[in-house]
Amino acid sequence: MEGIKGYILKRWQYLLKKITWSLFTILFVIILNFFLFRILPGDPARAGVRDPRLTKENIEAIRVRYGLDKPIINCFESLNPIKIGSCTVNPLDTQFFIYMGNLLQGDMMISFHTNQPVAEMLSERLWNTIVLIGAGQLLAIIFGVLFGMFSAWKARTAIDYGSLTLSLVAWSIPTFWLGIILLFWGSNNGMPIAGMSTPGMSSAPLLTRWGDIAQHMFLPTLTYTIVYMGEYMLIMRSSLLDVLSEDYILTAKAKGLSVFQILKDHAITNAMLPLVTIIAINLGFTVGGVIQIETVFSWPGLGMTTVEALNRRDFPVLQGAFLLIAVTVILSNLLADLAYSYLDPRVKTE
Amino acid sequence: MEAHIASTTQVTSRFQDFWGVFRKNYMGLVGLGMLVTAIFVAVFAPVLSPYDPSSTQDVTTGDIYNAPSVDHWLGTDDAGQDVLTNFIFGARVSLTIGFFAAFISLVIGGVFGIVAGFYGGRTEEVLMRFTDIMLVIPDLPLMMVVIALTKPSIFNIILVIGLLYWTTTARVVRSQTLAVKSRKFVLRARSIGAGKGHIIRHHILPLVMPILVVQAVLVVSSAVLAESTLSFLGLGDPTALSWGQMLNYAFGRGAMSTGAWWALVVPGFGIVWVVLGLTLLGQGLEQVLNPRLDTHHLMPSRPTVKSEAAQRSSEKSLLEVKNLSINYISEGKPPARAVENVSFTLKEGELIGLVGESGCGKTTLMLGLLRLLPSAGQIVSGQVYYKDQEITALSDEELNKIRWRNVSIVFQGAMNALNPVRTVGDQIAEAIRKHLPDFPAEKLPARVSELLELVGITSEHKDYYPHQYSGGMRQRAMIAMALACEPQVVIADEPTTALDVMVQAQILDLLDQLRKKLGLAIIFVTHDLGVVAEICDKVLVMYGGVTAEYADVDTIYNSPSHPYTQELLKAFPDLTKPKKKLVSIPGYPPRLDALPAGCRFAPRCPLAFARCHTEQPALHELGDTHIVSCHLVEAPK
Amino acid sequence: MSQQTLLEVRGLKKYFEAGRPGFFSRTVRHVHAVDGVDLNLRKSEVLALVGESGCGKSTLSLLLMGLEDPTEGMITYDGQNITHLNDNERKSVRRKIQMVFQDPYESLNPTQTIEEIVTEPLVVHGFDGSHAERGEKVKKALEDAGLRPAEVYMKRHPHELSGGQRQRVVIAGALVLDPEIILADEPVSMLDVSIRAEIINLLAELRITRQIAVIFITHDLGSVGFFADRVAVMYLGRIVEIGTMLDVLERPQHPYTKALLSVIPVPNPRMRRERIILQGETPNPIDLPTGCRFHPRCPVAIATCKASDPALIPLTKTHQAACLLLVK
Repeated sequence: MEGIKGYILKRWQYLLKKITWSLFTILFVIILNFFLFRILPGDPARAGVRDPRLTKENIEAIRVRYGLDKPIINCFESLNPIKIGSCTVNPLDTQFFIYMGNLLQGDMMISFHTNQPVAEMLSERLWNTIVLIGAGQLLAIIFGVLFGMFSAWKARTAIDYGSLTLSLVAWSIPTFWLGIILLFWGSNNGMPIAGMSTPGMSSAPLLTRWGDIAQHMFLPTLTYTIVYMGEYMLIMRSSLLDVLSEDYILTAKAKGLSVFQILKDHAITNAMLPLVTIIAINLGFTVGGVIQIETVFSWPGLGMTTVEALNRRDFPVLQGAFLLIAVTVILSNLLADLAYSYLDPRVKTE
Repeated sequence: MEAHIASTTQVTSRFQDFWGVFRKNYMGLVGLGMLVTAIFVAVFAPVLSPYDPSSTQDVTTGDIYNAPSVDHWLGTDDAGQDVLTNFIFGARVSLTIGFFAAFISLVIGGVFGIVAGFYGGRTEEVLMRFTDIMLVIPDLPLMMVVIALTKPSIFNIILVIGLLYWTTTARVVRSQTLAVKSRKFVLRARSIGAGKGHIIRHHILPLVMPILVVQAVLVVSSAVLAESTLSFLGLGDPTALSWGQMLNYAFGRGAMSTGAWWALVVPGFGIVWVVLGLTLLGQGLEQVLNPRLDTHHLMPSRPTVKSEAAQRSSEKSLLEVKNLSINYISEGKPPARAVENVSFTLKEGELIGLVGESGCGKTTLMLGLLRLLPSAGQIVSGQVYYKDQEITALSDEELNKIRWRNVSIVFQGAMNALNPVRTVGDQIAEAIRKHLPDFPAEKLPARVSELLELVGITSEHKDYYPHQYSGGMRQRAMIAMALACEPQVVIADEPTTALDVMVQAQILDLLDQLRKKLGLAIIFVTHDLGVVAEICDKVLVMYGGVTAEYADVDTIYNSPSHPYTQELLKAFPDLTKPKKKLVSIPGYPPRLDALPAGCRFAPRCPLAFARCHTEQPALHELGDTHIVSCHLVEAPK
Repeated sequence: MSQQTLLEVRGLKKYFEAGRPGFFSRTVRHVHAVDGVDLNLRKSEVLALVGESGCGKSTLSLLLMGLEDPTEGMITYDGQNITHLNDNERKSVRRKIQMVFQDPYESLNPTQTIEEIVTEPLVVHGFDGSHAERGEKVKKALEDAGLRPAEVYMKRHPHELSGGQRQRVVIAGALVLDPEIILADEPVSMLDVSIRAEIINLLAELRITRQIAVIFITHDLGSVGFFADRVAVMYLGRIVEIGTMLDVLERPQHPYTKALLSVIPVPNPRMRRERIILQGETPNPIDLPTGCRFHPRCPVAIATCKASDPALIPLTKTHQAACLLLVK
């Protein structure tokens, strides 16, 4: 018998473990991000200093500031045939450590395209993406859970088969294509189809401006909701079906509880557990969807920035955007894990 | 339910078994059909397409975005090319990339999963940590970065998708490997002396394979989606016109503004067709290979069939069961007669044992008493009375007032009978709140503590969750919960099965004490003849869904009249006669969907004669409370 | 009963690591699953090993099978020390000691046919006879296990057989290697009462027809009566009492054995007896009680029980028990 004390201790251990693990993952992503851009053929150091859009002074400034003429890292000579370093170099005087140092100060280089600091550019766009994901995710979860519950409760009826089929179809539609179809429909019905607000709105009163943004958000959010609702519905359905065939539901029924009481007090919490896990695991996947939606609807978020940077071969922005996206996903994942540990008392250290 | 060797020696292969089930799965069949069509189109593209994709005609602005016409059934695209032709050839590119990428990812994921699951320890730790990291890194941005930094070619796209889409496979395969590894037949193989290679080849792989097949189908669909997304974002191979690439060109080159919906709709339709086909196939395969009962406890049960009320016994009884019959109905099969014509009465303070082997209908009978049957179960005749109320005729609302308040059930607590995410105390309090709404809320915690202490659990344990209890404690907590509303009748369903003998003795002792202290009437469902002899007043022996013998406990053990009761006692070890040789009853209990024509025990009965095989014996009353269903006791002695 | 000793166990111990008590603690705790067991098994003898869950009987069986490595102690088979063998050396011993598991639904691979299952041990041990000889051997094993005629069963899969038949298949898989010892771990507890006797009778028959010794592991003292020659009772990783079947069932000396015997239900309402019901549950084998490990639950414990840990005390030539009250 563990006792309540042991139980609380275990929860703290669990939290500590999860946080440490997230930090480690972030470190892994930073290192991966650095080497991807230095080792793969499209090396930004070489690409950057040859970029015709930059003036000579700019190139020189970049060189010095980011140490692009220094070896990437020391002491790889004997291990790596590419020979990207020399053991005689001071390890701190290499591109890797300069990059890490800059990153710690929030410096993610300067955009080749706009000459704006990358960090500044991205932080603005991050919020637009979070607004979109937040709204879409919320709606997708609400509708997915509701439909899933209904479907499971009415299992093996026409309602169930109907919503199951719709969910599978929604799950199979490429996000960007659904976006295009909705865009097509929207443009024929006078919906705003691009960007986040109508030009020239910045001087309008606050409420009008928000209303305008909401209008612009409608189609992207709808796309997002449809695509992810299907998946959440499928998971909720199967998880609730599992829960409803558990023995403790029979106990609840024998206790004389009504169907509504059983669902509310015994089934939903247990059925939500797998959903929380899936939401967490899916976050990385979700970002993929948002990139497509932002591209189709020209929503000025991180996704669109990434695609733009890609087309312009603006490597510092690409690198920064990837890092920011990855770190955001890892942190949200951590959040979902913590939520899980509060929902399920069985969470142990293992 | 026991399976038997049928008299015919027809042997089916595993594939035949699989196909027999799969062909009834519409979802899987539709998916397979859709996939086969797509593959057919891809393979016979040159034959099917109206134009040659490589022919470069002179394109004039008049040829661009022509609406569907007789010449171009699906119109033309931004380069004046026939959309139908490109669509048909696009299937080749999309499917090739999908299948090759899926192959790579399955190999990686499969190897990772099996190695991690089978070898465990440090190897597993390292592999699964790496998988976890890869899982949280968003795939699409990473693929975009890698392809942008290399060259967008078909080869690179296949490689990148293959190298990034293995994480789910690895996780799924690992957990399946772990599950298989922990099964006893692997331990048996090890005990024989089989090496690791032998075990992986002969025991792990055959059981992981089905999961891998399902996973393969799903990964192909993800890979097709990933390819189309990359191409749409401008990272596709410019020399290969996949469906995603077609959409990229159309979307980027003004199909939207010219209203050329055909250039946007057609390629997307192809992607949806393939992905939906694969998804349906995957779902279908999953349902066939990993079947689960698509039923649950909240599904409405079949309506009770009303039958003419029989004469009730004159004595005052708490619970009276009259000629109760319960069937299980499944489509396309004759109903399984799980319980037939069972009657008994339970008086205040009485303890009745309901005994029988697995599949004899005792659990069905018990659930039927409170109409808790699964959705396939139906009460087809007979009545159940609680005092003066006919349970079989009440509405759900009225029945809910009797459940637990007057008749409660102790389920097998070692199983999952308590909700894992609510504290035990809370679950006990719930019953009181439901049935005794006037009970003062401030006294509720004290009452819960009192109930727990009654069954020998200290009150501080009321804030614990079920997983913090041991098996014996869970069983006690179930009993405390059953007593929460001070019911008159408690039904105990195998409350001591799966518990150690000492804990079993503790629970029996507890029930016996409670019965004396609170005047409870108890129905004790068990397969254990010894336990019944220890505590029961009356015994109902069931065989194949019918009453074999119903009598007071002394009659059952010392002068049983039914051959089944007699044989069962010979098969049961008796500590007081250690030298006694045990006798088994030849054969196996009947299956409820294939009952013998005559007496259900006849095929195994040592005393059976011709009539037993053709005619079902009636219930013969030998005394006030002695009922036997056997032709041998026809004439009362 | 003066035949040669086949298997001998001396001071056998198996501890498992149970993690650390706290996050920053350095000491590792141990589960004392098997904690000093002495046993011997004679040729064609049936030894019943009885105990409740957590008493270490299953770990002991894994140690005897060489599926776990003992922490301490020695196992000898036919005079040969087999405590720590590598896989190759172990192989010849494995042929001689075969195991039958509790759950016949779980211990057969559902994808194999009965023939494949029974042939597998021969394949693993590199049986060098012809194909026909191999078939004969498999057939004989199946028929000896009571599956007659063998041809009816050979092409089937486990799910087509009943529980009793599956357990017979497991036994056939053991017989095919001509073992000297069968270690049966709760072989009937998952079966219906009416067919338990047929499996027990089959094992009893084999010791006579094939001179196989049987170690019969069970939680049910009641079921060992007719079949066992000797009975050993285990509690918390130790044997607390061992003797002939009649010694233990009719003249039990250890208070734990007495309590266990008293709570086994007797199928006769006229024989309802006073039961000695021990309170609480078996303590976890991580933090063992001081002194006699049974003293916290013992109804007759005296002061010295808390301090001193009793060893097995010989009572008669065949009967031993570990209790301080028996010291003369």
